[in-house]
Amino acid sequence: MNYRNWIACVATLLVSGIVVSGCSKSTPSPSDGNTATVDDMPESNLVGAIKIDGSSTVQPISDAVREEFIKLHPQVDVTVSGNGTGNGFKAFYDKGADISDASRPIKPGEFEKCQANGVSFIELPVAYDGLTIAVNPENDWVKELTVEQLTKMFVGEDAAKKWSDVDPSWPDQPIKIFAPGTGSGTYDYFHEVLAKANKQELREDMTLNENDNILVQGVAGNKYSVGFFGVAYYTANKDRLRAVPIVNPKDDVAYEPTVENISSNKYAPFSRPLFIYVNSESLNRAEVQVFVEFYIENVSDLCEAANSVRLPQSMIDQAQANLDAREEGTHFVTADGESREGSFAELFVSENLVK
Amino acid sequence: MNIESTTPVAPNDSESQRPVPEAIRQGASATTESTQNSQRRIRRSKTFYGICVSVSFLSIVVLAVLLISIAVQGRSRLTPTLLTGAHSTSEPASSGMYPAIIGSLSICAVCALSALPLGIGTAIFLEEFQPTNPWLRRLHGFLNLNISNLAGVPSIVYGLLGLSLFVFMFNAFGQIKVNESSGTELMGVERYYQILTLAGGGDSVLVRQTDLALPTITITEPIEAVDRDGNTFRLEVWDPKSGTPKPKDPATQHRTVRLGQSGGAYAKTSWYYFRLPFGRSFLAAGLTLSLVILPIVIIAAQEALRSVSPSLREASYGLGATKWQTVRNVSLPAAIPGIMTGAILAMGRAIGEAAPILVVLGATVAKNSGPQNLMDTVVTMPVLIFHWAGDPQVTYQQLAAAAIIVLLLVLLLMNSLAIYLRQKIRVE
Repeated sequence: MNYRNWIACVATLLVSGIVVSGCSKSTPSPSDGNTATVDDMPESNLVGAIKIDGSSTVQPISDAVREEFIKLHPQVDVTVSGNGTGNGFKAFYDKGADISDASRPIKPGEFEKCQANGVSFIELPVAYDGLTIAVNPENDWVKELTVEQLTKMFVGEDAAKKWSDVDPSWPDQPIKIFAPGTGSGTYDYFHEVLAKANKQELREDMTLNENDNILVQGVAGNKYSVGFFGVAYYTANKDRLRAVPIVNPKDDVAYEPTVENISSNKYAPFSRPLFIYVNSESLNRAEVQVFVEFYIENVSDLCEAANSVRLPQSMIDQAQANLDAREEGTHFVTADGESREGSFAELFVSENLVK
Repeated sequence: MNIESTTPVAPNDSESQRPVPEAIRQGASATTESTQNSQRRIRRSKTFYGICVSVSFLSIVVLAVLLISIAVQGRSRLTPTLLTGAHSTSEPASSGMYPAIIGSLSICAVCALSALPLGIGTAIFLEEFQPTNPWLRRLHGFLNLNISNLAGVPSIVYGLLGLSLFVFMFNAFGQIKVNESSGTELMGVERYYQILTLAGGGDSVLVRQTDLALPTITITEPIEAVDRDGNTFRLEVWDPKSGTPKPKDPATQHRTVRLGQSGGAYAKTSWYYFRLPFGRSFLAAGLTLSLVILPIVIIAAQEALRSVSPSLREASYGLGATKWQTVRNVSLPAAIPGIMTGAILAMGRAIGEAAPILVVLGATVAKNSGPQNLMDTVVTMPVLIFHWAGDPQVTYQQLAAAAIIVLLLVLLLMNSLAIYLRQKIRVE
């Protein structure tokens, strides 16, 4: 065994490691096959880096916008992270991100932090997300559900154990519930709609899982089960699940979670708006400015690929107007630092804007 | 015949030896009772053999089921696009994992370059340079104990350690904040302002940044600017209120900006761009992973060094070699195959880790290239698989299965390279 030989071998191993990482550094960015080159237009010379963090629900939308954006501006480096809405806002007020993706409006506490750290922002709604309450296709007794029935089923420790506890005409069988994990925005949203106003918690004996595919399998595999998750998971598994129409408390009509009903705000209260929050100081940077304008202009066409529902054009127009006028602040927190109550369409008006 | 050979090996050595002579004695007396006794023992032995076979078969079946189900699910997505493309949201079918493969390999390179020398060095110190002073011996034992304990710490804990140690560096070198500061930059960066020109479509010019404290600039008068080839030129200003018509000529438009147009800071970085703290970079991720595998490397190298026959070392000392000469010429060459086996296992673990990477780099999946500079973030294969597997669309789930196959193949390739090198060392 020769000392020189093995040191040479180890050196080869290390050098090959360096070469591998070295090669990757010199690889130009549009090296993959799917970057479209626009022949008749000169390549944009826009440069820079944009950092986006926040909701994993908004992440696919931002990813889709990024993908189209870098086809036009290949030298801009856009990083989209999906660490959750709360973490996204934390990064945003700590100046770790230029744009915060959010699946809910900013909370008063987060707004205060922004003010304290001197972060002013523009609030822009980009799409809708619907929450589906799904049952097994063999379930023939649930035709529609009201918010009261859902509260009976999901809220508190004394929640209904059997279907017959909700409605005496339903079978005398235990309800098996599948729900997303407590860390997810979907769980938060469901909790907010059903339990928060009464200062209660959702029942604790649900099967929780962060992986929505497992929830789909759970509901599809048990006749007496019910579950809730993002509308995208329902659309992808339409043949294995049945979505329950939800009675809108305003007009007492039950609506299916279809694109039309979500977009027209009829599928209430289980549709929610998705936002991006843009640091107004970052908006002075050319690359951020061009990107955000591109975002608002194209998000309605791109969000469907990202499993979301487009906003009505009037909302997009108002977002565009706010962006053009650089209207800073939020619509969802009062000047006294309280959350505003009400539906998105009612609150998203310029009178409610608080800097 | 296999059965007989397995029996004495299985239980505790010293006790299992004893019944054998007894059995021989009983066999010598050749009574019916003793024949029954021996038949019973052989039956038991056969049962044990059966249990062993079925247990090992069970784990192979589980592995086979896993591999087959992944292969069936991912088969349709095992295309060249998978190896050349990047993650795509608008066209899931054209998604690929090229940036993730490069990302994982670069993280592994950083990890190997830092963990292997450190780990092997520590093992040499712990095994070859054992102190004689009782206090130092105690310290030595304490170190050994701690390293064994660290090997059992969950990797996410290392992720959190890496977050404060490498990503933030305890804020000792300043914080990385958008529009404000980039920590302590050491090399590879030039600072400019980027201003949009009249040409539109995101066309912009660069102006050198002289005062780092000013994140934005407002153009009120003609100023010296730089084009992308590094040539300087005079940037003209057009005032919409002055009545002069907006320039029509594209060449002029490229050199003209609106009066009062503001521009933000832009940092042009070279590949050797280096700053403290590391931020969410592949360097930080690689170093964090090296913390994860360091205990494994140390323990494997220690075992390998321990198994080198003491007579070899004593012969070396007998020839008058010093401690360092003995380690260099005798112990280490003899231990290299064992050390490399440990290194292979450790790198296999490093390439498959998702939890510490998620903590250090965040859940970024959309990136079209490998790292562009030392401080660039990367996508890694486990994080991409995690993201794809959780998506509702069937395409992504198939992609996840195909990506798992690619990950296994990359792992297999890395291991076979290491095994090849190990064999080569042995032969020579």
